Amino acid sequence: MDAETPQLGRASAAFALGAAIACVFNTALAWAKDAYAPLNNFMASLTGHHWITHGLADCIVFVGLGVIFMKTPAANKIGPNRLVSILIWAVVGASLGLFAWYLFL
Amino acid sequence: MNITNGDIILLGHAAFGSLAGMAALWIFVETLNARQETAGRTFKAALIAAIAMGAAWMLGGYWYVHFYPADKAIILKGPWPFAHDLVMETKEHLVFITGILAFYLPIAVRDKIYANAAARKMVLSVAMLVVLTSLAAEGFGAIVSHGVTVALQRGNGKGAR
Repeated sequence: MDAETPQLGRASAAFALGAAIACVFNTALAWAKDAYAPLNNFMASLTGHHWITHGLADCIVFVGLGVIFMKTPAANKIGPNRLVSILIWAVVGASLGLFAWYLFL
Repeated sequence: MNITNGDIILLGHAAFGSLAGMAALWIFVETLNARQETAGRTFKAALIAAIAMGAAWMLGGYWYVHFYPADKAIILKGPWPFAHDLVMETKEHLVFITGILAFYLPIAVRDKIYANAAARKMVLSVAMLVVLTSLAAEGFGAIVSHGVTVALQRGNGKGAR
């Protein structure tokens, strides 16, 4: 086994941060289109269904931010343990945020 | 026997979703025992997870757009309207999170996880999140399906289809 290295690879760190932001964006967009019908209608008009537009928007955010973060030092400036925590809490928060929104509203 | 395209698409969606969850569990176990000689196998498992999740996503999306409106009408007239209002509404957005994580897995496992504790921690975390969220999605799907069943069994969903 090689000597232990403490840093994530450039792509791994960049897309981890992109994934965390995309997960939060996903929940925020779900809230927004549920609360504001014109946005839902606009999203539906783009692809024929709001859900399809929503999925494409998530993918664009994930891939787009991943590529941007690969070209900048932003993700690598964050320590790997902190990046893992950010991603976990983004996923947990975004998931519970979805459930709570539809439970209470 | 009468198996429709809608049946095949829905069951394919659940099957590919389960396959993606199992591949993520496979990645988790491989990462716990990461060695240089198993790196290729772990990457293949990550590709399987990502491709299966993509297939589950597309099949589920096609079924949701084209077939679900009839089931939704039945559910909302039945005794379990929360199967749509809460469970399906959450599921249809939660699966995007599962998908993003599954698509990230092949990128994460490209790091030398056998030599990099930080990379191992990241892969273990993401793989487990995929397992847990895909299990939640499977359970939510079962509740939605049962929402249709109880509506039809108790008569309130008659005429909705």
